[in-house]
Amino acid sequence: MIFWDSFVNYFQPLVLWYLRPLVKWFLRKTTKLCELQRICYGDPQGAERTLNVETSLRLSRRPEIKSLIKMLDSVHKDVIYRRDFVHYSVYTVLTLKKIHPKVHPQFAPSFSRCIEQLHGYETLKRDVETLRVEQYDADNPEHEAKLIKLWEAIMPDTPLEARVTKQWQDIGFQGDDPKTDFRGMGMLGLENLLFFATDYNKAARQVLSHSHHPTYGYCFAIVGINLTSMAYHMLNDGSAKTHIFNISYSLPNMRLFHQLYCYLFYEFDRFWMEEKPRDIMEFNPIRDKFEKSIRHSLAKRDTLFKINLYIDNI
Amino acid sequence: MGLLALLKKFRSSQEKELRILLLGLDNAGKTTLLKKLASEDVTHITPTQGFNIKSVQAEGYKLNVWDIGGQRKIRPYWRNYFENTDVLIYVIDSADLRRLDETAQELSELLTEEKLSGVPLLIYANKQDLEYAASASNIAEDLSLHTIKDRAWQIQPCSATSGEGVKDGMEWVCTNITPKRN
Repeated sequence: MIFWDSFVNYFQPLVLWYLRPLVKWFLRKTTKLCELQRICYGDPQGAERTLNVETSLRLSRRPEIKSLIKMLDSVHKDVIYRRDFVHYSVYTVLTLKKIHPKVHPQFAPSFSRCIEQLHGYETLKRDVETLRVEQYDADNPEHEAKLIKLWEAIMPDTPLEARVTKQWQDIGFQGDDPKTDFRGMGMLGLENLLFFATDYNKAARQVLSHSHHPTYGYCFAIVGINLTSMAYHMLNDGSAKTHIFNISYSLPNMRLFHQLYCYLFYEFDRFWMEEKPRDIMEFNPIRDKFEKSIRHSLAKRDTLFKINLYIDNI
Repeated sequence: MGLLALLKKFRSSQEKELRILLLGLDNAGKTTLLKKLASEDVTHITPTQGFNIKSVQAEGYKLNVWDIGGQRKIRPYWRNYFENTDVLIYVIDSADLRRLDETAQELSELLTEEKLSGVPLLIYANKQDLEYAASASNIAEDLSLHTIKDRAWQIQPCSATSGEGVKDGMEWVCTNITPKRN
């Protein structure tokens, strides 16, 4: 068995390299369609189709396609407009594969959609990174306003007595001034919390009330910032692609990232309460267990997270 | 001495494992220091809820470093990690002058803990790269370190983000400490 595994590991790249073109050629001759067409016609719309298109493009040895991929991979640092990129991609593939748009009218729209999603995902990564590297600055009135807005949204019945106050600990910051708590997540951490508190206000306040539980309590904001880090890493290593591509009604954008975060927070809270931790010192192992289960779901091509907005009355 | 004990002693002198406890107020830089020791990326740190642990190889020692969250709510749990500690590393944000008293208070309470009695103490005067950082000697004065007579101690200025001074502190740990147990 071990021998077989190492055998497969050793030969798989060779097989991919030599056999793949052969299989592709055979299928092309029998179906009269190129691989990208077979994917765009045969695979269900969403992550399945877009990810297969991406794999097919990445495995291509044609210099034109290689430069296409190089362009896609640089979206996070250079500004490459979506329309330009889509036009260029469609044009390149249509000419290279000799696909006539009049004969195959469905191909271009379907393929464009996949390219738009791939481009949108990379753009989202760039936007998220821009927010993350922006450090919270107490001298910036915009930052300060957002922090106050967070308080007002999540503690509507309790006025904040001062800018620097122990009250911040009630929503789970560490001390009397939240400014040092965002650390490596920067403004991304605050924007995530603020989105949760405003767009899913009821859910966020329910989660906050759980965080005050006498035995299973935790620090709402600090756990939130740790979950920002989880969402951030899932976005960057590409594992969030399945979920993002399956939400097909809009292109990847910041709102989708915030919603993914809200889902993680809401579900983490439930997971935490169900685990019945002895105390807060169990946070890291339980977080790791939670992350593992989320990553397991994301590995499935049909995964789509939806916040289950069932709010219990307490 | 029995053969078994002899063998055990021999084995332990080969392994040289140290249990290091990293404490300090929140935002002192404990997790950054831990990650720096493990040569990991320090740009994505988040506040520690609970604790982190890492094993690091240094100067022929295997260091098991426990980084416990520093916020007030978590401090009562510190004592759960005192047992079998070989070295206590106390991290101070040298630029947070407002909380120097608070950190001095926490440290003096730690030094009266029975389970930590005689445990060598390394103090990192962290964030020396910041403009308003107090010098290590000023901090030593504020914390009245000269009154510590019951253990070996050292104060080391450092910047955990750049790594400056971190190695010097760890060298002190490895040259001045012999593992108590095993």
